[in-house]
Amino acid sequence: MSEPPDSDRLLIDRVRTGDNDAWQELIDRYEGRLLAFVENRLGKRDADDVVQETLVGFLTSLPNYDASRSLESYLFSIAAHKLTDQLRRDGRRPALSLTAADGESERDLPAAQRRVSSVAQSGERLAMEAAALAQAMSDILDRWREQKDFVKIKCQELLLVQGLPNKDVAKELSLTEQQVANQKFEFLARLRTAVKRQGLSEDVFPELYE
Amino acid sequence: MNSLTAAQLEAYLDEALPAEVMAAIEQELRAQSALVVRLAQLNAQRDAGLHTLGAIWRRWRLTCPGRQELGNYLLGVLPQDVAQYVAFHIDQVGCRTCRANLDDLKRQQRESTQEAVARRRRYFQSSAGRLVKR
Repeated sequence: MSEPPDSDRLLIDRVRTGDNDAWQELIDRYEGRLLAFVENRLGKRDADDVVQETLVGFLTSLPNYDASRSLESYLFSIAAHKLTDQLRRDGRRPALSLTAADGESERDLPAAQRRVSSVAQSGERLAMEAAALAQAMSDILDRWREQKDFVKIKCQELLLVQGLPNKDVAKELSLTEQQVANQKFEFLARLRTAVKRQGLSEDVFPELYE
Repeated sequence: MNSLTAAQLEAYLDEALPAEVMAAIEQELRAQSALVVRLAQLNAQRDAGLHTLGAIWRRWRLTCPGRQELGNYLLGVLPQDVAQYVAFHIDQVGCRTCRANLDDLKRQQRESTQEAVARRRRYFQSSAGRLVKR
């Protein structure tokens, strides 16, 4: 899993003290990748503005930054928010009512999902659940990586991150559909074990119990 | 665009898909209400506190190569199986943040130091006013 290197932690500690040199160093380290992230969606001038807003946003949110989280991931998530705002202002990203706040879309949810929403979940709890699952997946993936078993990693990545059906994954990786189904079953079974061991709610991970 | 999976649409909500796919979805959203409904349902599931494994994988960057590994990929010095995996992750899965890192590393190879320094100084000047001792 992506964790902050010690050099990032030390840099953040210095930025928190108001150290100008540390702030310039952080900018030097990360601005290029942030600019690359936004500039293929925007013109050069707007991309520059979004990077500036990202950096200001980082300083503003610094008191809430959890130093155990990857600094790079945190900066990218701020950049994604600032980029989305800019695209909405430009009218490119449709301003849709996509939240369940108006109560419209939630009616379409299955009963089990409504039950979950009725239990007010704190941000901390959501983060804890996600972190536990991330660790469980990471443990399996790290082992496969050590074994150089990239086919297994690719298989799960296509199934879960891309959401492709078994037959497409099988074709992509020159496996049989049965092999893909078996690998998926094994992976999900291990995650179910992790959920049970850590006493997490099964209701919030519907894919594990389909 | 109807063939977009729920996992890909969720990545759209997080601004995490390749730029050309993001633009195509935005175009589709203006014309097709069915896609709007699918996105609204996904958002409602999130608001209800449900997790998806793909979103956790993506946000925690479980299979993203490190910056140094990407540099070695660019230099062509990674073992073949690792290099093939990196190419798969960036080109086929379309990891947006790894693509940004790779593009940045490529830019560093062609950009003059002077250009980079000027840009970084500009970023510093526009943000340092928010730097406070805490």
